[in-house]
Formats: sequence, structure tokens, C-alpha cells
Amino acid sequence: MISVFLLQWQRFRRAPFMVLSFLTLSVVFIGVMAGANTGNSLTIPAYADASLSETQQAEWLTELNRSDNLSFVLVSEGEARQDVVDGDSRMALQLLADDYRLLVVADDPARFEVESYINQVYIRELRIRELEEQSAAVDVRERLDGMLEEPAMTVSTASLDGGEDTFVYDGQLQMLFGMSLFFSVYTILFSLMKIVEEKQFGTWNRLILSPLKKWQIYLGHMAYSFSVGYLQIVLVILLFKYLFNFDVGNQFGLLLLITAVYTFSIVALGMLVMGLVRTPQQLQAVVPILATGMAMIGGAFWPIELVSNNILLAISKVLPMTYGLDALKSVSIYGEGLAALYEPLSIMLLIGVVLMGVGINAMERKA
Amino acid sequence: MLETEGLTKSFKGKKAVEGVSLYLDKGESVGLLGPNGAGKSTTISMISTLARPTSGDVRLNGKSVVKDPSAMRSVLGVVPQEIALYEELTAHENLQFFGQIYGLSGKPLETAIQHVLKLVGLEDRQKETVKTYSGGMKRRVNIAAAMMHKPDVIIMDEPTVGIDPQSRSYILEMVRRLNKEEGLTVLYTSHYMEEVERLCDRVYIMDHGSIIASGTKDELKRILSGEETVWIELDRAYPELFAELKMNEHIIQAAETEKGIKLIIPKGKRMLAEIFQLAERHQAQILNVNVQTPSLEDVFLHLTGRKLRD
Ligand SMILES: Nc1ncnc2c1ncn2[C@@H]1O[C@H](COP(=O)(O)OP(=O)(O)OP(=O)(O)O)[C@@H](O)[C@H]1O
Ligand SMILES: [Mg+2]
Repeated sequence: MISVFLLQWQRFRRAPFMVLSFLTLSVVFIGVMAGANTGNSLTIPAYADASLSETQQAEWLTELNRSDNLSFVLVSEGEARQDVVDGDSRMALQLLADDYRLLVVADDPARFEVESYINQVYIRELRIRELEEQSAAVDVRERLDGMLEEPAMTVSTASLDGGEDTFVYDGQLQMLFGMSLFFSVYTILFSLMKIVEEKQFGTWNRLILSPLKKWQIYLGHMAYSFSVGYLQIVLVILLFKYLFNFDVGNQFGLLLLITAVYTFSIVALGMLVMGLVRTPQQLQAVVPILATGMAMIGGAFWPIELVSNNILLAISKVLPMTYGLDALKSVSIYGEGLAALYEPLSIMLLIGVVLMGVGINAMERKA
Repeated sequence: MLETEGLTKSFKGKKAVEGVSLYLDKGESVGLLGPNGAGKSTTISMISTLARPTSGDVRLNGKSVVKDPSAMRSVLGVVPQEIALYEELTAHENLQFFGQIYGLSGKPLETAIQHVLKLVGLEDRQKETVKTYSGGMKRRVNIAAAMMHKPDVIIMDEPTVGIDPQSRSYILEMVRRLNKEEGLTVLYTSHYMEEVERLCDRVYIMDHGSIIASGTKDELKRILSGEETVWIELDRAYPELFAELKMNEHIIQAAETEKGIKLIIPKGKRMLAEIFQLAERHQAQILNVNVQTPSLEDVFLHLTGRKLRD
């Protein structure tokens, strides 16, 4: 098994192009798309009607401008609308007494991020006001601000998770995890393709005739594909964590664990695919469809929270990618611990075991 | 030491191999001859335990290997019809790996690698990637890889297919040496008559999945009714000589050709002296005489009414 595993690495050294190109692609995609989300901060014109006093308007603006990535400027309604029409601004915000409207150019992808951010600010502010009204204490806001500085408050942020219509959307991490998991599918499946190739070119028979057991051969190949895929994801995360200062939370060990379980499930999925295709050519047609489809439904391209179609949601429940992304985000964005991971991890393991069983069976039947 | 009995293999109801019984004695070199699609490769994959026979048995030293292939696998080297190598690696790296999976390592592994490289004459270029090799060199590494574990029996499936004449004769000579000098038992598959004639002590001729003839080369050739063809090349046409030959009671058939006369005579009948005397008498000048004995090719033609390669 070890020799089969090492052989694949030896072959990789001679022909590293494919794997390296998927690694590069993930880095480029994340760099460009997540970079765009942060590098140039988005300026959004905001306006209000007479229902809000000027102090109220200013208060809202202060709250909204706490973001690093977004800046809001107060303008007249006419100006704001004109900006959007002219394309000078991608969207405009209308402030209402305890609500808002967002004016968006059709299909601007940034709107999810912006809207979720504004939504968050509003909900927080409105809750604080409610508190102020209910409690006699005058200094609710100050105490709250003080508490916000304390780490304990992260827990209360996390409590937003799962609340109706709100989720914390971190564009950078969404992009980072989404793309690295997406491109790893290619790397893993194309690495497993070596099994199909060996069968086609006859080296497989040499292995079968040797004292190696069949499970050792499979295991050697799977271990190789696992390690390439795993290294690729981990390298990408490390790169963005240290070079581009992405904040992936402080539980790196858990991220490694999730990645490992996810990679295992994709290797298993790959074994099923290998069991179904007959030639490397077929595989080349199948892999992109599979990877892209999974990424779209599983939430690698956009957050799964934005999907409302029930059929797609149902499909997403059987995709390892859904659980992998969910777990990665809950650890790095919400700071969840191991306890919250039991479910996604065990589901991915289960999917993996089932797929691998079916896959190896299909492969053996074909032989 | 190795025998098969009634080997049959069907693919989806269609019989690719039917009732093949053959044997190999220790140290023998045996040919399996047949045209494309005759079922040679299928037979070989059953003998080498890569495919399970639909019916029939393969025995090694009297013990069936269909259920427990391990005994067969340890004594057997198989050279597949295709180039089964990792092309992006060097010959040395390929052999290293194929040695490792047989449990070799360290010094014995390196010794084995150099030994087989020497056998196939590729010591100089062992550090080059297989991809850059010529077809003939790839074929040689393909053979070397099957010998890393020092097998007693080697089965070669058309090891010279698609290569230049020089590489081909190198490989043939190598196989002959392996058999005669290293004492390897060889089962050699081919659709080239000349190769089998040159290499093998005994021959099985296969067609449409079955063995249609077998025996030593001489035995097989004796299948042909004992006839010989004599070509006589003359400086010009001699009608009287031709007429007289035609009248001869021993000559089965005589025909005038462009360059002279073609005669078919009974095999073993010593007629050349008589023919020379006749020519002398007609003052004909003989430029060349050619007597053809039947080849295995003729045997195949005789048995099936078809040429081996067409
Ligand atoms: N896996 C398979 N499935 C279906 N039919 C097969 C399979 N393998 C071989 N056959 C058929 O069995 C017959 C014998 O094939 P085989 O490869 O044994 O011939 P061969 O003598 O080795 O020919 P060649 O000289 O072309 O290598 C052919 O008709 C072939 O189509
Ligand atoms: Mg063949």
C-alpha cells in the first residue's frame, strides 16, 4: 500500500501541472473575488425623508459606518437615485424610522453582503432601543457598548446565527472556503483517475499479479488522492490566513479536522464516480459538471442561506460540500467548538462510507 | 508443470475461447499462434489468473489455480500485449516499483533491477523517462518489468507487435537466450509465423477460440500433404524442355513462368539430378533453382483456407 501511495507522489513530481493549476486557480479566484470585497470599500449613498430627524439620521449613519468595508454618506433622495441610475453607485439606502429600503442595480452580487450587514445593524439597534424602553436604566447603551468590547459578547453575536432571516455573511471566508473546497473536488477526482488509467493501460494487471492485495492497491490510491486534496485546501487556507490576513478564527485545529473529513467524503464520492465511468475521457466530461453542480447547490459559490428552492435544498442535504462549508464557517465565523461539529462531521463520514462502499462495488463488478 | 484443460471463456454468451487444452513442460518454449481475435490474449489472461474461466481448469504442478491463484502468481511473469508501464517515470523507477511490490528492497532490489536491465540491454538509458523511448525500447522494459521477481515461467503476449525489425530480432534473440541459457519456461504468443518457428519447440495454432493443430514444428508441417515446389530460373524459354518435363510421370504439375519453369513434385523424391540432366540435354542454361518446403504459414493456410495476416 505504501509503495502504491509513494509511486503516485513520484508520478506527481513528474507531472505536477494539473494539481498545481487547480491550486493556482483557487488562489486566483479567492484573491480576485474576496479581494474585491474588501480592498475597495463600497460607498453607498443614503437618504431619509422627513420621518427621521437629522439627529436620528446621523445616529443611524454612525451605526452603519462602523463597518470597515462599507461607508455610507448622507445625500438627498434625488442625488442618491441619480447616482444609482448613472451607475456611479451600485446601490442606495433609504432610511426609515425603524426600517430601511435598499435600492439595487439588478443582480449586483454585492447586495447580499450589504443587505445582510445593514440588516444586522438594524436588528441590533432596534433591539437595543427595545431594551432601553423596557428597562429603567439609562445607560443601557453604554453598558452594552462596554460589553461589546468584551469577548463574552461574541457569544451573543453567535446567537444571531439561526435567527430568522439573519446570518452573518463574511464574504472573504465564504469565498475562501467555497473556492478551496470547490477546486479540491477537481484535484481529488482527477487524482483518482489514475485508477481508471491503470486499468486501461494494463499496469493494474501487474499490480494484481503481485503479492499486493486489492484493498492495498485501492487504499494506496485513495491515500494519495486524499493527501493531495487535503494539502491543497490547507495550503490555500494557510496562504490567505498569513499572507492576506484573512481572519479564520483561532481554532485552526478544528478547521484541519473538518477539512480532513470533507476530503475523505470527496475521495469516497470519487470512488463512486470511478466505479461508474469506463474511460478517463468520460471522467473528464463528468468531473466539471459534478464539481460545479455540487458547488452551486452546496453553497460554495454563494451562501446556501440564499437558496430557497426546496428541491435544491433537499439535494444540498446529501452533499458533503454543504456540511463541509457549514462546519468551516461555523467554526471560523461563529467560533463554534467541537460540540457543534458532531452532526456535520458524522454526516460527512456517513456519506463517505456509503459512497465508498457502493463505488468499490461498482468498480469490481465492472472488472 | 503447467496445463490447462477445456478452458472456455464467454463474454455475454459469445464464446471467445472454447475448450483449450495445452501444457508446458519445464524449460520448454511453446508458441501460441493465431490471427487477430483468435482468443490468444483471453487464453493467456485465464492462464495467468487475471480472468476466471467460464469453464475448464488451469493447473500448476497438478494443482488447480483457479480458486487459489497465489501459487501461480509467484512463479509467473506476464508480459502484456500493451505497454503496461508508467510513462512519466524512468525505466529504473518503473522496475524499482515493480520490484517493491514483490517485496524487494535495498541492495537485492537494485541488483535485480540491474540484472533485468542487462538482459534487455537498456543499462545505459535506464535513467530516461519511458515516454522518450522508442517503441522497441518500451517493449523491452515491458518485458523487464515482468522479470523482476525471477519467475520460472514467462508468458509473452505479442511482445514484438508494432516495432521495427531490428528491435524485433533483438527481442527474439533475448527470449531465445532466456529460454536456453536461463532455463525459463516460455509461452510465446504471436501472429508472426517466423517468430514462432524461430523460437519455439512446440506450437499450438489457434483460430476462432479453439486450438486447431498442435505439435512440434516438424509434426505440424507434416500435416501438409508431402509436396514441394521447385522453381527453375532459365536464361530464356525452352519449349522442348518444358514439354518433356510436362510428360514426366513423377512430376505432379509443371507450369511456365516469366523467368522459367515451376514444378510441383512429391516431397522426398530426389528429382533434381534428373531435371539437371534434362536441361543439359536441351542445352538450357539454369540461372537459379529454388526448392520450397512448407512453412507454418502454409500449414495455417492449409488448415483454415486463410492467410494468417490479412
Ligand atoms: N472483455 C471482453 N469483452 C467482450 N469480448 C471480448 C473481451 N475480450 C476479448 N473479447 C473477444 O474475444 C475474442 C478474442 O479476443 P483476444 O483478445 O483473446 O484475441 P487475440 O487472439 O489476443 O487477438 P489479437 O491478436 O488481436 O491480440 C475477440 O473476438 C474479442 O472481441
Ligand atoms: Mg491479443
